Amino acid sequence: MADITTLHTGLNSGRKHSVLVVEDEDNIALALDFLLTREGYTHDRVADGDAALPKIRAMQPDLVLLDVMLPGASGYEICQTVRLDPLLKAVKILMMTARGSSIERRKGLAIGADGFITKPFELKELRDEVRRLLTPEG
Amino acid sequence: MLTRLSLRIRVFLFFALLLAGALAALGLGLWMGYHRLGADPAALVGFVQAGVVAGFGILGLIAGIWYLFDLNVAKPIDILAGSLRARAHADVTGEMNAAIARYLGDLAPAATAAATSLSETRNALAESVAGETATLAEQKARLEALLSDVPVGVLLCSGNHALVFYNGPAVDLMAAGAAPGLDRRLFDFLREGPVRHAHARLVASGDDDAATDLLCSTTTGAQVLQARMRLLPQGAGYVLTLRDVTADLAAQARQDALLTEVLDRARRPAANLSTLLAVIPEGQAGPGPMDAALRQEVQALVGAVTELSARHDEARQDHWPLTMTRATDLADSLKARLQAHDLALETVTADLLLRCNGFEVISLLDDIAVHIRAAGLAQALRLSIVEEDAGAMIRLVWVGQPLSMRLLEAWLEEPLDRAVPDIISRSVLATHATEIWPEPFGALQSLCLPIRQARRVTQRPKPVQRRVVYDFDLLDKASNSVVADTALSDLTCVVFDTETTGLLPGQGDEIVQIAAVRIVNGRRVDGEVFDTLVNPRRGIPLSSTEVHGISEAMVVDAPFIEEVAARFHKFTEGAVLIAHNAPFDMEFLRRVEGKIGLRFDNPVLDTVLLSAVVYGQHEVHSLDALTHRLGITIPQEARHTAIGDTVATADAFLKLVPMLRGKGLVSFGDVLTEVRKHGRLLKDLNG
Repeated sequence: MADITTLHTGLNSGRKHSVLVVEDEDNIALALDFLLTREGYTHDRVADGDAALPKIRAMQPDLVLLDVMLPGASGYEICQTVRLDPLLKAVKILMMTARGSSIERRKGLAIGADGFITKPFELKELRDEVRRLLTPEG
Repeated sequence: MLTRLSLRIRVFLFFALLLAGALAALGLGLWMGYHRLGADPAALVGFVQAGVVAGFGILGLIAGIWYLFDLNVAKPIDILAGSLRARAHADVTGEMNAAIARYLGDLAPAATAAATSLSETRNALAESVAGETATLAEQKARLEALLSDVPVGVLLCSGNHALVFYNGPAVDLMAAGAAPGLDRRLFDFLREGPVRHAHARLVASGDDDAATDLLCSTTTGAQVLQARMRLLPQGAGYVLTLRDVTADLAAQARQDALLTEVLDRARRPAANLSTLLAVIPEGQAGPGPMDAALRQEVQALVGAVTELSARHDEARQDHWPLTMTRATDLADSLKARLQAHDLALETVTADLLLRCNGFEVISLLDDIAVHIRAAGLAQALRLSIVEEDAGAMIRLVWVGQPLSMRLLEAWLEEPLDRAVPDIISRSVLATHATEIWPEPFGALQSLCLPIRQARRVTQRPKPVQRRVVYDFDLLDKASNSVVADTALSDLTCVVFDTETTGLLPGQGDEIVQIAAVRIVNGRRVDGEVFDTLVNPRRGIPLSSTEVHGISEAMVVDAPFIEEVAARFHKFTEGAVLIAHNAPFDMEFLRRVEGKIGLRFDNPVLDTVLLSAVVYGQHEVHSLDALTHRLGITIPQEARHTAIGDTVATADAFLKLVPMLRGKGLVSFGDVLTEVRKHGRLLKDLNG
């Protein structure tokens, strides 16, 4: 625990934040790749729900951009597993969905997502949300 | 000729004739005696004197005997005949007054014996009929209850489109308000075209079992109704079932409009984007203005999609075929179903009504609860239903391990009911536009299922009078528009009574209450009642309040006479008006005709005059006396209320009709001619 916190605070003072994109649509992934590079994050992408968890465990990213509808495990399932895993406590999750009813948002937040964003989103909106989540509170 | 005169007049004429004969014989005798004496003028004075004395003597004697005869023979016979008629035709029971006819020898006891025997025979017959009738009535009541409770409107119409039967929902659907009515034309409520067209189509098909669907609307156009028409056997008429599709159609129209807007607002930016991109060489950035244009189009597209999706979500809530279901009912049903699986459920519910398909929601929760136990997560569950935002949150709570989304999502892919493999549990979420998820609940675990719409259970609104109203004899009734030729028993009548601030309409007295009932085919229709207070725009004298019990405070919020009179005019349309002492009530109505621009030009009958025709003018014709003679009792508390007096008058009229028929007065015209003979008792109001 302690070392993760130390690591996290250390990130602010120089080290690049890392972001994992879990998204099956290639075009969105391409745009996100472009944006994240421009923002100066290190990042990676997986396109399959089942591949997401091993990747998160291996990579320990600061933030996961998580699509809800995925082949294999759903975004909700991935989110819940991450939240139930104490080793992944520092991983923030921003969920993305094409349908964005208030009930879906409620569900995402209840399951443990840190943010929820509805497609189609403007990249500026996404960028602000990512920045907010990567800035430690307080 | 002479037989048409009443008995008392004939007796009077008989005595007059006797008097004339006796005087003539006296005159002749004296004249002959005078001439025998050689017409001596001196004797003339003596003869004249003798003649005058004898003449007055004879006059006095005959007049006296006539008076006794009239008082003790003719009048009692008349009264006795009236009483017998009342018993013969109108089912009046009770002792006959034999004392009035004590000089008629055995006639009165004989009549009493005949009446008693008649009454006994009637009772015996009535008893056996009553047994049969009770069975029929029971079946009828069951059928009525069934038809009054079905949520669709059911109407039965005769071949000429007059209402013969209707239930409560039909009244609501047709927005018929306070004045529906048997024997009214259907087209007073529904637009004529589609109904006539469908009827013609069915008649032309010649198939007795054929039914046809049609779409019609109320005359006001406020409601669009989906209807199904089926002919009755032997062309007697048809059945119409009605369902309100106004809301469905409006929702459909909104959906269509939304879809059109979606396509429209997506098509233009899409086309613009494609054009803009086509002119930019592939792999290169566009020049500044082109880039700005691209961004603007994308912005427009994104804005449109976001806004339209939100509106779509909102609209979805409007047209689900979901009903308001009690939270406690949901909890009880789930508890029962889980008990069958040996799974205990504790329930905590707020007093809410949830807009949902109860069966589906319970099936889903049942299914998941059983899975939760099978997965070893919990052995007992608690269900809580609480208010949340505009809706409600259904929560299954347990102590133990959390439920993983992986399991939950797998369960949602299973069929809700094994017999219907196509419908999976997840579809329940789609119909309710909701989601389901696990969530920690304090130190416990829970599963959340929000329901979008719910409201608190409030005091039930006053139950609407749900009943069916009908008269199947109307199906056989030949329509006869000429009132004068119509039999009294076939007339559609409105019997009414008013209570007023006083007895002088000419000096500013006003109506404070109007009540009326309809009589159709010789039957008072229980469900068709008009009864309302009226604000008289003036004080009510205490002396009047003491009579009818209506105080000024009671009429403060009542409508004014113009509004009530207009509604009353609608209620009485096409009917004969009947009142006890009609000129009094009619004068009050006539006074508002100018203000409302409507005329009460209905034919009018007065039960005072009808009573005079039946019982003769020597009787008292007050409402109390008349109803007493006819064996009708007005409950003391109902006397001098407009509706109490109205019902009594209506029942009196119904008993008078067969008595009039017994006197050979069958049609309205016959009765009117007879009534006019009693015109000096009261003025006739039929022009």
